[in-house]
Amino acid sequence: MVYLNLREMSEVCDRTVFLKDVADVYCKNQAVQNRCRALKILNVPQGGECNIILSAAEVIRGLEALDPSVEVSNIGKSEFVVAYRPPQPPRLWWQWLKTIFVCIVCFCGAAFAIMTFNNDVNVNDVFREVYLLITGRESDGFTILELSYSIGLAVGILLFFNHFAGWKLNTDPTPLEVEMRLYEENIAKTLIQDSERKEREVDVR
Amino acid sequence: MFARAGVFAQSAVLALVGGGAGGIVAAGVFAFLVIIGVFPRLIGKTRTRARIRLYETLIILGGVWGNVSDIYEFPLLWGGNVLLGTFGLAVGIFVGCLVMSLAETVKTLPVISHSIHLAVGLQYLILAIAAGKLTGALLYFARDMGA
Repeated sequence: MVYLNLREMSEVCDRTVFLKDVADVYCKNQAVQNRCRALKILNVPQGGECNIILSAAEVIRGLEALDPSVEVSNIGKSEFVVAYRPPQPPRLWWQWLKTIFVCIVCFCGAAFAIMTFNNDVNVNDVFREVYLLITGRESDGFTILELSYSIGLAVGILLFFNHFAGWKLNTDPTPLEVEMRLYEENIAKTLIQDSERKEREVDVR
Repeated sequence: MFARAGVFAQSAVLALVGGGAGGIVAAGVFAFLVIIGVFPRLIGKTRTRARIRLYETLIILGGVWGNVSDIYEFPLLWGGNVLLGTFGLAVGIFVGCLVMSLAETVKTLPVISHSIHLAVGLQYLILAIAAGKLTGALLYFARDMGA
């Protein structure tokens, strides 16, 4: 019995893809396990980066051709994506350039979002009103209300993202990490569904 | 004596109101930003998911700085046009992603292209949307429509 756990999406840098690159394989018999892990499942055709969709059935067929006595149990995905990315020399400056670009967009975007929100709902006027309601005096625009709002906002953001720089509240993944996973999962799902449609030649019309 | 206690109580209430408002606004606005999917897309496109924590730190800093400078209006007095240009460009990219994410969340494009049986030319549709947004933004500023 060979247990096969195919991952939904795996990135490879080599044109020859082995089973161990895309799945976890377990078998009681160590020798069989090693032979299965070394099964060649795909030769990436010439060209740049590409996504290739394979089905678990093909892998199981390959495994049974390798050793007719094995029985394969797939506990992973039934379809999976092999994303071929040509090996590149690590261009650190380019990586950092991209990082700085995203950093600037994140920083300015967040600043802009909160500024437009404050202006949209007219926070300043609301605070004047609240100040008048509670103290009966006119606000000069710089009261404890604005100060506590700013502090509360900072605390709220920190609680939401649940970390700052190196410091972390607990070990849960942060909201952006969760969102990022969902995004990647959606990409893999779309790729798989696209390939299924192409094969069956049906599309919504 | 009682007057001072009264002022103190009022300040405490004000601080509570302000702090609570800030916390809830932060949760709402930033949850929206993260859920809408602009940042995951940017990170995915640039393939820099290893630095996700750094980005979050920058989002936190941006939010706090944006809020403080919006409410207290303290001047920065440096950077000039270079900083303004960078800020404008970054905000433009951000809002561009944001509005398309919003349109995508309510599935505008799939619905339209499906209902008019659009088979080819989706890329031109997207280009047309981008060009339209550019024209709209330029017109908005040129004709001073915000006033």
